[in-house]
Amino acid sequence: MDDRRVNWACRVLAGLVMVFLLAPLVVIVIASFTPTALITFPPKGFSLKWYANIFHASTHFINGLVNSLKLGLIATGVDVFLGVFAALAVCRYDFKGKNALLNYFTSPMYVPSVAFAFVLLQVYSQIGGIPGMARLLIGHLVIILPYIVRNTVSVLHVFDWTLEDAATSLGAAPAQVFFKITLPLAKPGVLAGALLAFLYSFDEVALSSLLSTPKFVTLPIRIMNYMELTFDPTLAAISTLLILASLVLIVLMEKLVGLDMFVK
Amino acid sequence: MERRRQALLLAFPTALALFVFFLVPMAYILLRTLFTNGTSDFTAFFTDPFYLDILWTTLRVSLLSTGISLLLGYPVAYFMARTRSRMKKVMMVIILFPFLVSAVVRSYGWMVILGTNGLLNQLLLALGLISRPLKILNTEAAVIIGMIHLLIPYMVLSLVGVLQSIDPNVEYAAYSLGATPAQTFAKVVFPLSLPGILSGCVLVFTMSMTSYVTPKLLGGSKFRMMATMVVQEINVNFDWSAASAVSYILLAVILAVQVVIVLLTSGYMKRMGGGKNG
Repeated sequence: MDDRRVNWACRVLAGLVMVFLLAPLVVIVIASFTPTALITFPPKGFSLKWYANIFHASTHFINGLVNSLKLGLIATGVDVFLGVFAALAVCRYDFKGKNALLNYFTSPMYVPSVAFAFVLLQVYSQIGGIPGMARLLIGHLVIILPYIVRNTVSVLHVFDWTLEDAATSLGAAPAQVFFKITLPLAKPGVLAGALLAFLYSFDEVALSSLLSTPKFVTLPIRIMNYMELTFDPTLAAISTLLILASLVLIVLMEKLVGLDMFVK
Repeated sequence: MERRRQALLLAFPTALALFVFFLVPMAYILLRTLFTNGTSDFTAFFTDPFYLDILWTTLRVSLLSTGISLLLGYPVAYFMARTRSRMKKVMMVIILFPFLVSAVVRSYGWMVILGTNGLLNQLLLALGLISRPLKILNTEAAVIIGMIHLLIPYMVLSLVGVLQSIDPNVEYAAYSLGATPAQTFAKVVFPLSLPGILSGCVLVFTMSMTSYVTPKLLGGSKFRMMATMVVQEINVNFDWSAASAVSYILLAVILAVQVVIVLLTSGYMKRMGGGKNG
């Protein structure tokens, strides 16, 4: 086989994979502007009515969005503290059992979220009286923690700890060392971890399917419930807004930490 | 000793939170299940063809999705690792973009494409290639398509790092010694990229084994995988013993895969000379 032909085949396949990855997203965006309830290609005209429909109270999309944002932001906020402390403890000090400790912090990754959700459901049914948001929040705090720990560890792993000693010897207090030296240098890992953790929480469905109460329902569940009743382009409109949000996040991540942070 | 105390102090809040909200509930419920029902739920699972069929479907879909994701992801990752053009950044964005979009949204996109009145059927009908719409949505094929879409980014991201760390000069050396591209790939690039292949496959396989949204939305009501079965047993059938059997067996399969992989990689690392980044 000739080298150039292999190269060319590789290129074509890569191109096709890119088309495959983008196809459903592009289709959703186009579909969201269809004027008809049945989505046809090419669309017969242009309409924004499905976007207006998102705000209609009967869809509960806005309520779901607010719930999902609250849940994701609180869970990520708390876990950034817990995760960064944990990562620091494991990376900064040399002690027996530090690998075991790291495995412990990342262990929720190995438990299927649906299995953990069912465990929590059984515990809640015994305790009783736990409000809807707390039922989900406890689950989210656990399942997203590994993302923050792992990404922070991946940065601290190659961290030059003598920088801390240098700052201390120049008279910096421990808090100053942490906020002026350690944290800024660990920032890319913490940010990437926090982003992945937030997205995991925001998109999470298995936990929410089992643990949410009628009073506290998240956006993905609202969308899935809507889908079962009506399959009109309102779904495409809300999906387009979510796709747009992801695009903004990508640009933000590229500016803040660079996309190479995501390469394992 | 002082340092160890500092470390433990720092780790304490996180360790405690995980202990209270994760470890204790998991252990408590497992023990309670074993003490109240014994192993009867598990024997019921393994003697009922209905449940065995669900386990087999889950394994089959996961293996197929993992295999296809590897086949499609590898050339992409190789191209990204070797190219110096601006294309690399463009591809990185295209890979990360769907990766950051909710699985519900992505499945919805595939529903619009694969449905009976979907884009694909409209296209094929207009081209005259088919006379009646194909049934793709609500079949296993649709689930696998949606799954691959979900998994390829993870696979590519796991592979790019490893492939980037392989020095291109190693490949040139093989060429200059007379190896064909196929030989170079089989004897040099592929073996060196095995750790990435392994970690990518484990990650992706675990994700498909435990996936819930994709099989639920693209498989239709009659298609069942382990995770959708757990939710169905609880929310529809109200059968908690069956749900606990299904969820613990799913957990056991995932942990077994992890153990096998750890054993495999440690053996592989020893043979390769035990490099830290092996």
